Amino acid sequence: MSEVAVTGAIKRYGQVAALDGVDLTFADGEFFGLLGPSGSGKTTLLRAIAGFIALDAGEIRVDGTDIARIPVHKRNIGMVFQNYALFPHMSVAENVAFGLDVRDVPAAEIKARVAESLDLVRLSGLEARRPRQLSGGQQQRVALARALVTRPSVLLLDEPLSALDKHLRQEMQVELRRIQRQIGITTIFVTHDQEEALTLSDRVAIFNQGRVVQAGAPRAVYERPVNRFAAGFLGEANFLEGQVTALSGGEARVALVGGGELALPQGDLAAGSAVLIALRPEKISIEPGMAVGANAVAGRITAAIFSGSSLTYRVAVGERLMIVFEQNKSRAPLTEGSEVVLRWNAADNVVVAP
Amino acid sequence: MRRFLDGGIRLYLVLVLIFLYLPILVMALFAFNRSPLYGLPFEFDLVWFEALAGNKRLLQAGWNSVWIALANTVIATTLGTMAAVAFGRYTFRGKTLMQALLFPPIAIPWLVIGTAMLVFFFWVGRSVGAPGMARGLHAILLGHVALSLPYVIFVVGARLNDYPKALEEAAATLGATPWQVFRRVSVPILAPGVVAAALFAFAVSFDQFVISYFLAPPGVTTLPVEIYTSIRKGFTPEINAISTIIIAVSMGLMLVVARFYRFGGERSGNE
Amino acid sequence: MTPTTRTRWAIFSLTGPAYLWLACTIFLPLLAMLALSFLDKSPLVPKPPEFTLGNYGAFFAKDFYWSLTRWSVELGLWVTFFCLLIGYPAAYALAKRIKGRWREAIFLLIVLPFWSNALVRIFSWTMVLRSNGIVDLTVQSFFPGAPAFDLLFSYPAVIIGLVHSYLPYMILTCYIALQAIDDSLVEAGRSLGATSFTTFRRVVLPLSLPGIVSGSALIFVPVIGSFMEPRILGGTKGATLGMNIEEQFTVTANWPLGAALSFILLAIVLVIFGIIYPFLRRQGGNA
Repeated sequence: MSEVAVTGAIKRYGQVAALDGVDLTFADGEFFGLLGPSGSGKTTLLRAIAGFIALDAGEIRVDGTDIARIPVHKRNIGMVFQNYALFPHMSVAENVAFGLDVRDVPAAEIKARVAESLDLVRLSGLEARRPRQLSGGQQQRVALARALVTRPSVLLLDEPLSALDKHLRQEMQVELRRIQRQIGITTIFVTHDQEEALTLSDRVAIFNQGRVVQAGAPRAVYERPVNRFAAGFLGEANFLEGQVTALSGGEARVALVGGGELALPQGDLAAGSAVLIALRPEKISIEPGMAVGANAVAGRITAAIFSGSSLTYRVAVGERLMIVFEQNKSRAPLTEGSEVVLRWNAADNVVVAP
Repeated sequence: MRRFLDGGIRLYLVLVLIFLYLPILVMALFAFNRSPLYGLPFEFDLVWFEALAGNKRLLQAGWNSVWIALANTVIATTLGTMAAVAFGRYTFRGKTLMQALLFPPIAIPWLVIGTAMLVFFFWVGRSVGAPGMARGLHAILLGHVALSLPYVIFVVGARLNDYPKALEEAAATLGATPWQVFRRVSVPILAPGVVAAALFAFAVSFDQFVISYFLAPPGVTTLPVEIYTSIRKGFTPEINAISTIIIAVSMGLMLVVARFYRFGGERSGNE
Repeated sequence: MTPTTRTRWAIFSLTGPAYLWLACTIFLPLLAMLALSFLDKSPLVPKPPEFTLGNYGAFFAKDFYWSLTRWSVELGLWVTFFCLLIGYPAAYALAKRIKGRWREAIFLLIVLPFWSNALVRIFSWTMVLRSNGIVDLTVQSFFPGAPAFDLLFSYPAVIIGLVHSYLPYMILTCYIALQAIDDSLVEAGRSLGATSFTTFRRVVLPLSLPGIVSGSALIFVPVIGSFMEPRILGGTKGATLGMNIEEQFTVTANWPLGAALSFILLAIVLVIFGIIYPFLRRQGGNA
């Protein structure tokens, strides 16, 4: 297994920088999610690692070796494509065997390894089928078996689950994670589905406009986004603008634009500076009332959206609209037009860059 | 009401088919009729087909047509497939213009193209001191390939567009060398398109009259040119016999094409 | 993507042969013919030619060429009109009313003559249209003593033969356009209160317009350049511009005049494409 290190990767298409100086290291055996809106550079990076794209600058090293001059077919990678790219003129077994066949592996060994690989993805018994005779989920498994059977050093997944419906996608997420754990392969995974990235990855990197905005463990990135983009892209967030009014006892007080006051850990805030606070909707508690204080604001519910296990409230707080999530507990839901108080803990205020 | 309407629709389609096929059937019928003056009643006889066997001019024209069509098929399919692969797999400046240049051979009346070829070939021939070179089977072949190329490029291109580039990329990630990718993935996937294109090319050449007409010197003809000359001069049911054979061959070819290539997709489909 | 030298070489060697071929057989010949149309002597004459506008002048000076051109255009319009009249309903029936295997079979039967020999199909009409032909004999057997039916060598014969030749084009293009129209659009039109006819007129017809337009172009262009069909079915009646061009090259050997007439024909074709291009463009060009 292998470690992949990308340093200073730059790729331009005319005036547009698809990769604008990317540094990332994918540790041995790690499941790493590349996340971002379309055109943010995540797919470009994946294709550069695969060898379909040559970088304009920077380098990619696998276990210390620069791979720039190694052609795709000698890179020993496994890749699963967005629409699987199964060969329509070959059976399932032939598809899986292809990578071994072109490496001149002896027939008996091919047979054994194809069987083993199909067993891994739980598709034994479908060897003779053609790809078009398979369901989406089965095609996905064949693509995975085909990518893994050659025992690649890195597994690249290009939005592998995007063509599946929601139910199947969740099932495959579990499968993917199980298989990846079982063989312990370094896996780089591109997705625009934030939930998928959080569920699957050991670490994620959020891309925007060819740069890595933030990288880290899913929980860390979610709880401590560095800027407005990261906070807004990964999950939902309320953004509160204000100014630091006082510092005392390790606590900073912030007066919000449009009224209200926050207290939050001082960190490296300076008195008088403007700050942007991100606040996750599920961190806020909501109850009827009018009382005000630090980390509490009063407002009126403009919409209550019921979605089974949870409720989403839209609350007008002065000029501002805030979003609050609440678990569907036994209490009777609050109704539109109710006057409510929103409260949250000081620690949930996350100072982010604009 | 609904059933009545559906009945009317079927009847209408049947009438259209009768319009399309009746003259061809009548023409074919007279090929099997004994009377040399197209007289009725009908008496079955193969005498006109037998007469064909002794008609040296028609036989020679027939051979010329077949050889030109075969040579045309090989050349046009090869060159056209190469160009289609370049269009399908690369992005480059001038591609749109080059693709647009495929329309003139199809959209300009053959009369204009055929006479233009005659003029140009004559000039080229004269400047190298052999004006006779302007016409002949080689000139006809040059012209047929030009007409077939756009069809080949479109048909192979359509097949290529149906399959994503990711198939070839997938093969490369699995360790296949560029040659292995070509042989084991590109060729099998392209094959039905190439076969269909080849059959189209054969049909285009075998049925081509206008271009051949202008580029055929006296005494050297292809089948359609020979038939045209005969029709103009006064003809016997022998012409019906050879026409029947040509129609049968062309339609047979088209049926084979339909097996390989359905408009808008592959028969066995990959949905 | 800036192609590396290697891919550039690959593109060049893949497309080069085909385009070199097209250059030598289509584009250079057209240029040669354009040049010839401005010369005063045929290259068959050994004397050196001189520049002249006389060939184009001859076209505009003589009513004869004008009437040839007018008849060619009229012929094109008639043939296109009848192909549309017969072909559109057939395409509609096939695309929207017939399903499954029958649709496939009938479709195949309609496009089958498409690639079979045009000359032979025109020839076959002489069997049908002449006196003592099939139509005549049928009429006589039902109405003995009816006047002899002989359409051969007449304007209608030329139109019938050409409609027969080009009808499959119209059915094919209209079928493709009609088939691409989602049935739910028709249902949506009906659900909004439109009658079947209104739905057809306001929804189906506009959406199938690219098919109609491209079918018309595919028919009109070759018909105005036709010479073999009017010669076989029309005889001396209804001489077309195409027939005259053919004569300039094969009989009278006045190549420069033939070249000029060819370019006038080409100019008409270009005008036609200029007129229809916006129609095809507006509909997203998926026809």
